[in-house]
Amino acid sequence: MDDKIVVEDLSFYYGDTPALVDINLKIQTNTVMALIGPSGCGKSTFLRCINRMNDIIPFTRVEGKINVDDQDIYDQKFDVTNLRRRVGMVFQKSNPFPKTIFENIAYGLKINGIKDKYSIERTVEESLKKTALWNEVKDRLNDSAMGLSGGQQQRLCIARTIAIQPDIILMDEPASALDPISTQKIEELIQNLKTQFTIVIVTHNMQQAARVSDYTAFFYMGKLIEVNKTDTIFTNPEKEMTENYITGKFG
Amino acid sequence: MTTHLQQELENISQKIFQMADLAIESIQNAVTSLKNVDTALAESVIQKDTKLDQLEISIDEDCIRVLVTKQPAAADLRLVLAILKANTDLERIGDLSTSIAKETIRLDGRSPLKPLVDIPRMSEMAISMIKLAFRSFTERNADLARDCIELDRQIDDLNMQVYRELFSFMAENPSTISQALGLISVSKALERIGDHATNLAERAIYYIEGEDIRHQE
Repeated sequence: MDDKIVVEDLSFYYGDTPALVDINLKIQTNTVMALIGPSGCGKSTFLRCINRMNDIIPFTRVEGKINVDDQDIYDQKFDVTNLRRRVGMVFQKSNPFPKTIFENIAYGLKINGIKDKYSIERTVEESLKKTALWNEVKDRLNDSAMGLSGGQQQRLCIARTIAIQPDIILMDEPASALDPISTQKIEELIQNLKTQFTIVIVTHNMQQAARVSDYTAFFYMGKLIEVNKTDTIFTNPEKEMTENYITGKFG
Repeated sequence: MTTHLQQELENISQKIFQMADLAIESIQNAVTSLKNVDTALAESVIQKDTKLDQLEISIDEDCIRVLVTKQPAAADLRLVLAILKANTDLERIGDLSTSIAKETIRLDGRSPLKPLVDIPRMSEMAISMIKLAFRSFTERNADLARDCIELDRQIDDLNMQVYRELFSFMAENPSTISQALGLISVSKALERIGDHATNLAERAIYYIEGEDIRHQE
């Protein structure tokens, strides 16, 4: 399988403080990679490096390389706007725009230059179907998105992300604020979406990582301690530190 | 700090050790009952098998509860899975000892065909295997489990020796056929106990090293 994301010797600093140290990692196309580790281990910082979200934080510095489809995304000539179109992101707290359900999805399409009304309508419907939200909202597309439940809002945000056809979806604890039923729907969705997208998910929920991902990377104090197939990590990890973390002996 | 999970794993481990002790006792008593034609001892083996059956169910329930409520991972998960399977092996060892005890009862006070030499040796070997497998678990030492697996060949060889000897008895004197077949079934039961002890050792290696060595030559 092709490597979608290749990270080489990546280090990241907040001022002089290193948050990530010499990370080397490959993420294959159409797989789900879970990033686990205790708070402050650098997993969210790493996630935000993949779409250069950290660029907007002052006094930060990146060393090393991240290649997406063999292109160095930290190359000076690299178009960051285009990168963020190709690398979508879903956050812990759902953040729909204070607009209608329809507009939430159509907005991204419009600013990406799609003007054709029918094309927009079709994409809105497809995106809502892919996120299993269509049947719940099809009769109230012009209602405010703010009236949806937390789980529905999060699925709307995922629909909004996939509408513009990214290659990669980054998810930062997408289900941590949701009830078990909504969490299950998000997890099902992740499994369905990986046939079309490459997904990187940060989660504090170990069982969630085990349920949704193909590969798991364990971070500790800014270092990548171990990465392997998820079933290997959760049944027979190589490193003692990984074992101690996933068996709840620290963290 | 001992977590609730560690405490539960400790309790389940204690139960499986108790089961191993009972299984060993039942092999010992079954073969002694045959050697000494002690029907009362044979009957006690059959009665005590219920205890093994109850422990099997209880350990299964404990393991399922831990899997559902504590969601163990890594070595903790492997321990639960190894115990779940070892549990079945020990229960089967109990059943096989019961078959040996039934053979004693079938003798109905008559002496066995010949003084038993190889069969007690097989039972001692099987007991050593079970002890090695469980020491391997407690000491987290996979080499002990490998030593256990090695011993299984010796039991298999003894089993073949017993077969050959009893076949010649039957060929020479057909009136011994019934008793000889009984002893063959005892020998077969001990050979099977050796196989279950091998399984126990394989479970121990899986727990310790995370490697599944079953069906490898």
